[in-house]
Amino acid sequence: MALWNLSLFLCAVALGALVLILLARVLDERQEARRQGERRRLSPLLLGGVTDISVPPQGKVEQDAAAHVTLEMAELVRGPERQAVLANAERIGIPDILHQRSRSRNVQQRLLAAEALAMFPDHAPRVHELLRDPNPSVRLGAALALAQNQAAPPAAELVHGLGLGTRERSLLVASLMSDLVDVDPAAVIALLKDPGVSDAAKLAAMDALASSGLLEHAPLMAEMAQSAAGDLELLPRLYHALGRIGHPSGHSAILRGLADPAWQVRAAAAQAAGLNGLLEAAGRLGELLGDERWWVRFRAGEALWRLGPRGRDTLERVALAGPALARDAAKRTLEERTDA
Amino acid sequence: MIFEPAVWAQPWMLEAAQWIAFIVIATGLAQTAFYVVLLAYAAAALSSRPPVPRSATQWRRYSDQAPPIAVIAPAFNEELTVVESVRSLLALHYPTFEVLLVNDGSKDRTLERVIDAFGLKRVGRFIDDSVSHATIRGFYANPELPRLLVIDKENGGKADALNAGINAARSSLFCAIDADSILEPDALLRVVRPFIDHPHLTIGVGGTIRIANGCIIDAGRVTKIRLPRNFLALVQIMEYLRAFLMARLALGQIQALTVISGAFGLFSRQRVVEVGGYSHGTVGEDMELVVKLHRHMRDQRLPYRIDFIAEPVCWTECPEDLRVLGRQRSRWQRGALECFAKHKDMCFNPRYGRIGFVGFGQVLLVDVIGPLVEVLGYILVPLLWAFELLALPWLLAFIAATFTFGIFVSALTLILEEAQLRRFPQARELAVLALIAVVENLGYRQLSNFWRLKGWWQFLRREQGWGAMSRKGFGGASV
Repeated sequence: MALWNLSLFLCAVALGALVLILLARVLDERQEARRQGERRRLSPLLLGGVTDISVPPQGKVEQDAAAHVTLEMAELVRGPERQAVLANAERIGIPDILHQRSRSRNVQQRLLAAEALAMFPDHAPRVHELLRDPNPSVRLGAALALAQNQAAPPAAELVHGLGLGTRERSLLVASLMSDLVDVDPAAVIALLKDPGVSDAAKLAAMDALASSGLLEHAPLMAEMAQSAAGDLELLPRLYHALGRIGHPSGHSAILRGLADPAWQVRAAAAQAAGLNGLLEAAGRLGELLGDERWWVRFRAGEALWRLGPRGRDTLERVALAGPALARDAAKRTLEERTDA
Repeated sequence: MIFEPAVWAQPWMLEAAQWIAFIVIATGLAQTAFYVVLLAYAAAALSSRPPVPRSATQWRRYSDQAPPIAVIAPAFNEELTVVESVRSLLALHYPTFEVLLVNDGSKDRTLERVIDAFGLKRVGRFIDDSVSHATIRGFYANPELPRLLVIDKENGGKADALNAGINAARSSLFCAIDADSILEPDALLRVVRPFIDHPHLTIGVGGTIRIANGCIIDAGRVTKIRLPRNFLALVQIMEYLRAFLMARLALGQIQALTVISGAFGLFSRQRVVEVGGYSHGTVGEDMELVVKLHRHMRDQRLPYRIDFIAEPVCWTECPEDLRVLGRQRSRWQRGALECFAKHKDMCFNPRYGRIGFVGFGQVLLVDVIGPLVEVLGYILVPLLWAFELLALPWLLAFIAATFTFGIFVSALTLILEEAQLRRFPQARELAVLALIAVVENLGYRQLSNFWRLKGWWQFLRREQGWGAMSRKGFGGASV
């Protein structure tokens, strides 16, 4: 009987809570008109279409709508228009609302507030505080927002503070590094030489430097490729970076990579050879058409095609007289490329 | 309350009756307790990584680092819907992706329709041969649509078609979908998030599937969310809520997820190749793949994550008549049993950690023992009480375990849904679902267990095949 009574009690409590939540939803639907009204009032104001001094959003519903509409507009526009939106938002007190939201218990609210507050230079200190938020997404989001707005702390401080590459392995670390490179490339280059920085963080830094097109980092990467022998996570990304940079100082490292025992490295090096137009790799790439791993055969075929006439000659020669596996790879690469 | 047993009852009969009732009630209570724990984990998952509300925000945050994805869509006899499906896939919002439509030996004009609609021509393609599949007859593409490749192959079933797609994929990630499902435009960007957050660990991610019956659909997109009027479709909405919002989200949080729906799942291509791709000869190839991945990573002692995201990413049409629904449920049951039998050595095996104890424990409790014991309870407990072999409290405890606690769990799921996600636009819809949460326990739940028992029978007889799944299609508003 106790079980029966307990089940009835729990069921009644759950259904009661459901009724309360339903009532809350009904009330919320009634507030929708207010929310929409505030959006209509604020939209032209934020875009600068209304010049009179407006009343800041008053109630919680209005403040909520104001924060949302500001974020949406800031996401939609760029350049001077965005500056105008932010100036107007400041005029009607939006940063104060965002300050409140940055202390919300809801993770998404805090993250959105951090991203938005970083756009207001006077409020960057609050975003700096959020770099110590208990939630990792908020911490990283705050760092990204600060970096995008050229207000980030020094690169080394961020790497150590957020545990970039150790506790925090998100791919967004690469975006963060890219933004840091734009402002202070020397600080990011210094990370590569810092023994206290993890390989993963160095990789992100390297990717960012490679994407920036700053050619002077290539020798350093080639050196790292030599010292990172056997590191299957690091090496392929190093070769991808060398492929993107295309600097001659990376060529000997790429040629070495084509003979690496790990297939992931051979495939990445083959791709880099194609991107660099490395003609002296044509012979080795021809051999790699017979590699036991499909990815290596595929990348070798693609690279040969990119090398132009000499690479295509190699492909045609192997397609006619190479070993069975290589012949098939060369034939199919030629078919595919000719059809493309 | 004094119990007067039947005058003809022997002591052993009374004892046996009480044991039967005890087993049935204990199983029901264990299930309820497990569900409540899952709900707590689901709530924790939602609060630690709440869904991003806006697509634009999602794009701003993640598009720069989003890795390329190959979307693999197997199609078999889908001439009526295939062109619209492909159009909808090509319009997905994601920085770099390729759609691989695999025509699995359709007997209708599926291939011709796609070729005509997109101006495709036969092309060469150098593909991998790591996983096995039936012979590929040709590849079709159009240089002006570089994101689309059609693979025409001999019929081999869904798993076989997916394997062909895996071999042809050139991205580190692939997304397996049903060609007749509708993806949210930002589905890939939402589901890829665990691969961005934990790129060194994540090997698979599932996303929430929602029921499209009743919704307004235009040009391959769900434009207005509405509840269906069909009772069976309404009940299935509650079932999907429990399955995805409660069970899968929580199991993902515990890192003991055993299923990523075949309708939508994102995987590391390399890891799937390492386990030999999808298995042939099973109707539960989606569950089998996830279990194989767990086994592989645990055997190799490699750290990994298989995650689940709460955001709705995919819409599917659910059956609206008893015959088709029954067949689908029997097939799902059979798939779970096949997978459990094949990997039974993982169950409660310390080598497999939480997947062996929590993941397989859940399959054992909910899929293997659950329907057998519950159906036994429906038949025996009321009978034993009617024949005065059981006292009334036993009957009430049985009703508590199977009915009132069922309502309790469903109500909690709806509360969680409303508190964290709010995917039903109007209060009225929430009220309808609250009513369904109560009503489904009176009749539908019993019927569903009967279908699952049928699945058990098919499993024992080693029956194969999927059975026909007739759909109304997404051509217009389906009400």
